[in-house]
Amino acid sequence: MKTKIIKNHRQTFELHPSGAAYWHEFNMLLIADVHLGKVTHFRKHGSAVPQSAIQHNFDQLNTVLQHFQPEVLCFLGDLFHSYLNSEWIIFAEWANKIESKIILVSGNHDIISPIKYEELDIHVTDAWKLGSIYLTHEPKTEENFFNVSGHVHPGVRLRGTAKQSLSIPCFLKKPNQMILPSFGTFTGKHIVTPTENDQIFAIAHDEVIEII
Amino acid sequence: MNRKELQQIAMGWFEQQGWAPFPFQKQTWIAFLQGKHGLLNAPTGSGKTYALWVAIVLEYIKRNPEYSTKHKKGLKAVWITPLKALSVEIKQAAERFVEGIGVPLTVGIRTGDTDQKERATQKRKMPDLLITTPESLHLLLSSKGYDEVFQDVFAIVVDEWHELLGSKRGVQMELALSRLKTVSPRLRIWGISATIGNLDQAREVLLGPNSNTLQNSVLIKANINKKIKVKSILPEAMETFPWRGHLGLHLLDEAIPIIKNSRSTLLFTNTRAQCEIWFQKILEKYPEFAGEIAMHHGSINKETRLWVEHAIRDETLKAVVCTSSLDLGVDFAPVETIIQIGGPKGVARFMQRAGRSGHQPGKESVIYFLPTHAIELIEASALQKAVLKNEIEDRIPYLNCFDVLVQYLTTLAVSNGFYPEEILPEVQSTFCFQTLTREQSQWVLNFITIGAQSLQSYDEYKKVEIEADGRFKVNSRAVAMRHRLQIGTIVSDAIMTVKYLKGGYLGSIEEWFISKLKPGDVFTFAGRNLELFKVKNMQVLVRKSNKKTAKVPSWMGGRMSFSSEMSELLREELYMANAKTGKSKELKALSPIFDRQQAESIIPGPKEFLIETFKTREGYHAIFYPFEGRFVHEALGSLLAYRISLLSPITFSLAFNDYGFELLSDQEIDMQQVLDNDLFTTQFLHSDLRKSLNATEMAKRKFRDVAVISGLVFTGYPDKMLKSKHLQSSSQLFFNVFRDYEPDNLLFQQAFTETFEHQLEEGRLQKALQRIENQNIIWKPCKKPTPFSFPIITDRLREKLSSEKLADRIKKMTTQLEKP
Repeated sequence: MKTKIIKNHRQTFELHPSGAAYWHEFNMLLIADVHLGKVTHFRKHGSAVPQSAIQHNFDQLNTVLQHFQPEVLCFLGDLFHSYLNSEWIIFAEWANKIESKIILVSGNHDIISPIKYEELDIHVTDAWKLGSIYLTHEPKTEENFFNVSGHVHPGVRLRGTAKQSLSIPCFLKKPNQMILPSFGTFTGKHIVTPTENDQIFAIAHDEVIEII
Repeated sequence: MNRKELQQIAMGWFEQQGWAPFPFQKQTWIAFLQGKHGLLNAPTGSGKTYALWVAIVLEYIKRNPEYSTKHKKGLKAVWITPLKALSVEIKQAAERFVEGIGVPLTVGIRTGDTDQKERATQKRKMPDLLITTPESLHLLLSSKGYDEVFQDVFAIVVDEWHELLGSKRGVQMELALSRLKTVSPRLRIWGISATIGNLDQAREVLLGPNSNTLQNSVLIKANINKKIKVKSILPEAMETFPWRGHLGLHLLDEAIPIIKNSRSTLLFTNTRAQCEIWFQKILEKYPEFAGEIAMHHGSINKETRLWVEHAIRDETLKAVVCTSSLDLGVDFAPVETIIQIGGPKGVARFMQRAGRSGHQPGKESVIYFLPTHAIELIEASALQKAVLKNEIEDRIPYLNCFDVLVQYLTTLAVSNGFYPEEILPEVQSTFCFQTLTREQSQWVLNFITIGAQSLQSYDEYKKVEIEADGRFKVNSRAVAMRHRLQIGTIVSDAIMTVKYLKGGYLGSIEEWFISKLKPGDVFTFAGRNLELFKVKNMQVLVRKSNKKTAKVPSWMGGRMSFSSEMSELLREELYMANAKTGKSKELKALSPIFDRQQAESIIPGPKEFLIETFKTREGYHAIFYPFEGRFVHEALGSLLAYRISLLSPITFSLAFNDYGFELLSDQEIDMQQVLDNDLFTTQFLHSDLRKSLNATEMAKRKFRDVAVISGLVFTGYPDKMLKSKHLQSSSQLFFNVFRDYEPDNLLFQQAFTETFEHQLEEGRLQKALQRIENQNIIWKPCKKPTPFSFPIITDRLREKLSSEKLADRIKKMTTQLEKP
């Protein structure tokens, strides 16, 4: 696993090829758009998505938690894809087992009642300001703050000689903002076109590569 | 009444119309009255409707001698047509006969266009003859009590069976027929097909292999031989004629005198975009045609299309630019001339189009071939030979379409429910599922009931339930409704309707084209330049624009490929280029190009296999010329790219056409190594091809259809614009989850099988490789692109294959910045 370290507002973020970002100063792991429950939601509506895809999300979460061992795990929205379903039970078991404190900055898909989260000792909030860092689900601009968010599922299209092209998920960093790729297994990506002051960190299997 | 008297009724009516029945019509009546099933081989516009409809009415009279006073209620016959546009015409013909002889039989239409009220009326009281499509027939099977609706049906006619045969709609028909054979015990099954290479197989697929139905059936041929004359439109100066391109506008001026000298002309184009452009350009350069020419393609609204069809019949139009939308049905006696713009890719299609002209008996059909680029002239010359030799392609029926089976079983579960021990033997009696194993059928049953092959904890899968007595049934109304909306096997992109701001419907357009436009952009549609105002609720609101330049929507359409017969003719024609004498006038016209090709490379002969390599700004090109048709080249290109990529890490972009294929890379291919390693061998063909496919994207595209047909992907509620909540997902994503977590899923596997059998034509590939093994490989390093290579290297539709590490590839690439 090759990570990439970026600094902003005197804070250090380590970008991991799973799509998570580890915030050194606050010993906090940031993860966006897991979309748990999506597989079950589809199955409930007669679309037989392989059930074994469910476990992969938790395996990925465990791997990245093991790697950073953060004090706090903060989900930047769209943790659960839709209404409550049986995947919640798996999630609850998992949440009870892990040692990090969990916070959910809720997103547009998070329609499950905060009471259910509080039962698991998970605090839910709409946005979170920590020092000069502003954590949200949808990208926001706030003066004097560096915003970290999700929602967009950014991906980038790359072109090379001999008519080659490729599209892969990425971290999109703007001067005062960073958008995380989606973490979930069964999620898509949205191709973004970077502007002049943007930076792109693409995910290539087990490596994060700076493109521009 | 005996058979003679019955026939007399029909003969009398024919006489009244001033007609005499054709022998094939009489043969069909007799065979039908004898209780036979069958396939009638007759072209469009030959009177095929009366061959079967008359037979059905006579049979009714035979059973009900008091037919004029006593009418038995209920559905008696079903007429399947692949195009709903044809149903009105069939209805008129059918009504004309029953009214003429005074039999009170009613004729009704039920298609996707039939409104809710009419459907409800039909449900209470079915017409005697129902004209419908395969999809609407399945919708009927999805409603409760369908068995009672069909119990007295004694005839089903599948019109234009050749159109359905090579598609999944054909499989849909096979399944519906397997059910009707049981619920309608007196059913007689008849198909009508244009001439194809495999007529006997077409009959077998329709009636069921090894069935009593097939045993008791006939094949009747109309044998209407038509003389077809093919004329090529040659450019005056070949030197300035383009080496590439697909529009053909360079020869527009040459087409005009043909249009002017003929009473009426149809110009067939290969795509809707090409159709729009030709229509515009003719009017731009020859404004005197305004009001005298029209356009006809599948995205234009129905009223306009019907108007155009009427105008052709009434001879009020001089010319119509059209697409395959005018290939089927609708008899246009007055059309005098046909112009085919660009290669038609198939002999059957070309002949069918040619047959659109000169309908009067004994009259010769004339078709002009207008090439869009130089090399296509070889095609023109080969087509002429094909027409002479009557070399017509086969339509290959599908096998083991699990997606259609999943859909069909769910359909039955939605209506009456089904017992597997009753339904599965029926399914196995069809051509498509004749090899279905017990394991496979169990897999499908598990799939629709538990969405997996074993029960899992915490699962909430819901679709078909198994009731206490073993009946498979859908009990959820939501599941039933979603399923009914998804019935069918034609998968298209999301379609949006195009409307004027002030009101007025123009047609429909694929969502992805509109998504590339911004409000204010001007695009060409239905022959007009339109400015995009805004997109709202799946509606594209536009207003007229006076701007001259506009974007033309390029509708996605499957690319066609040459059949093996056509490819062989093409090779023979090309080898002739080396000959001293006996060249066709097309080949003679091409001589400046051949000279150029000869100077820079060679023109291969029958014993030679040509490879050209050269470098341009884009990278290192390697062009291979098997002349085997696009699909085989797609397979061969992927295979070779894969085998080369095993030698050392390399990334390719692949392009194909009917003549050859290109491997383009940022590194030079060591061609000597390719030749030394015997990379054209037929050994390990299947496994190598399979591995190369994993790298390319073909199966992924096939899976898109499979996922929609089998109900994995829900495409939303049409018109309601209510996108179902949180159920959106792309089929690509589905493909990836199956690849990673359930690669042995039969639907996932099907995407690969289809790619092999229908896209890559593995059987033909094998033969092509054997042929190449006996040829001398001639490798020509060239200085610059040759005339032969030009149409291939300029193709933008490309496949990819790579054996380099992703990270290494990324490091060589860049991304484009948004322009400020």
